Amino acid sequence: MKNRTYFHALKLITENCTGCTKCVRICPTEALRVRDGKIIFDANRCIDCGKCITACNFNAIVPVTDNLKEIEKFKYRLAILSTSYAGQFPQSIGYANAKKAILKLGFDDVAEESMITMQIHKLIRDYIYTNNDIRPILSSNCPAVVRLIQVRFPDLLPHILHIEAPMSILATFYRDKICRETGLSEDEIGIFLIVPCVAQVTAVHQPEGTYKNYLDGAIAISEIYSHIINDIRDFNEQDTSYELYPKGLSWAISGMQAEDINDGVLKTMAVTGIHNVIEILLKIENQQLERYDFIVLNNCVNGCVGGILNVENPFVAAARIRDYLRKSQPCNFYNETFEKMYHHGDFNVIPLEPRSIMTLDKDIKVALEMMKKIDEIDKKLPGLDCSACGSPTCRTLAEDIVVNKADISDCVVLSRNKKKCSCHKQQNKEEV
Amino acid sequence: MAEYWYFQPGMEEKARAFFAETPKPEIMQNFEIRERDFVSAGVASAQIKYALKRLGVPSEILRRTAIAAYEAEINVTAHSKGGSVTSNIYSDCVYLIFKDCGPGMEDIEQSMTPGYSTADEMVREMGFGAGLGLPNIKKNSDVLHIVSERGKNTVLEIIIYY
Repeated sequence: MKNRTYFHALKLITENCTGCTKCVRICPTEALRVRDGKIIFDANRCIDCGKCITACNFNAIVPVTDNLKEIEKFKYRLAILSTSYAGQFPQSIGYANAKKAILKLGFDDVAEESMITMQIHKLIRDYIYTNNDIRPILSSNCPAVVRLIQVRFPDLLPHILHIEAPMSILATFYRDKICRETGLSEDEIGIFLIVPCVAQVTAVHQPEGTYKNYLDGAIAISEIYSHIINDIRDFNEQDTSYELYPKGLSWAISGMQAEDINDGVLKTMAVTGIHNVIEILLKIENQQLERYDFIVLNNCVNGCVGGILNVENPFVAAARIRDYLRKSQPCNFYNETFEKMYHHGDFNVIPLEPRSIMTLDKDIKVALEMMKKIDEIDKKLPGLDCSACGSPTCRTLAEDIVVNKADISDCVVLSRNKKKCSCHKQQNKEEV
Repeated sequence: MAEYWYFQPGMEEKARAFFAETPKPEIMQNFEIRERDFVSAGVASAQIKYALKRLGVPSEILRRTAIAAYEAEINVTAHSKGGSVTSNIYSDCVYLIFKDCGPGMEDIEQSMTPGYSTADEMVREMGFGAGLGLPNIKKNSDVLHIVSERGKNTVLEIIIYY
């Protein structure tokens, strides 16, 4: 496992880095450091939350997504839209036109995550009721949260819902359907996700857990946005020939998702923002939230509408989606094949392996010695957590020193005091 | 003065020897616990758990320690005039000492009964005081030792072996 390399949907452009340490301080898994004035990053720790990308003012950390040109490699191209897509456009443009405009980009057909989310709610409820021994059960559709649990809370891995994510299920569904209907072979069909965040790009390029299916690429909403806006100008009026699934859009907003899964008996909760998610996971570890049946956890504020590859502000997008939800008719989505596939176990996923970054050493005796040294160094450090050394906190600098990845002289405050001290001494001498 | 001992089966001899000698811990952490400070209640047990996690203590032990420490911390917060916790970490066990400044317990056996609680309205409204704290600590500890004197204070010691 140690030799495994992890794909990450972000790229460091070192020449742009000013060494400001803004990203270092914001990273929830302490994956970033500034050394010799430039950013470096630990791929084992990164969970693709994208916080550093938003934090960087100098374009030194940028998202990696697939280019729209990638679709040209395939004879038949399908786009699967994330639920947050519908919230990106004003109502004057309309959800139907925004969907139709996808075809102008060169896609042959367009599917939506929201087509099956209502059905997934049923499956999740079924899973909750049949797994009474696990409480709470944690949502699995945010890949950044799943990776966070892998690296920082490996004990909670069994709590993760073990049903495939909707977009992954749709990919299987469609690949099979298109093959049958067009007679094309599987590799002539390109299936692309239109995604709101970098974590989903990673999920596409490194399928594991609830994103088990191989997809051909992930394109950022922000990348296609300007094309869509341009193309929509050519549409005269609202197209009504497109089937829409407004009820299923609730997945873009985590509070709504928790509400939809709730049948009036279950206790559900929604938590958004990676630092809030960490707080809740700590409570779950202490068994303080066992009375909850299901908890929706999302890296981004408000849920997928808060993803960094969206264009619209998360609150505006959420308000638009809520409006669609209010105006839509309640629907009882039921698909027999779908149900059969679920009961047959087709949507089950292999439990994820832990990737713990927490343990100092496998041997507890060695770990104890290390911790003693860390404590000793930590006591000498000023405790300001200023990050000027390039490590996020004084404590992490102490850890970095113990593993020979930094030196105590990296502490700017200590160095300055030392300098002052020696200046002072020298002055005294001169006076004498 | 009331005293209470509990040993998981097979632990007594080992624990008695430990108390007779009380070896110097590898790592020692100290935390203050303030009376009725429900905002910070849980911070000390979270720090204790974090250290053990970093040391690679098995997850089941981690879980038991976290629960026992949390419950004991809440007890000091909710029922006493404040106190402290010391976490002593060894290569084979963790030894926690909770000391408070009173008012002490009359009858420890009674306090160990599930459902028995002396918590007042305010504590109950906070969602604590269901009378399950001490039984839960006992359930998760290998060794539990409580010494208490009504009108004085309580000292609660927990040992959990890895």
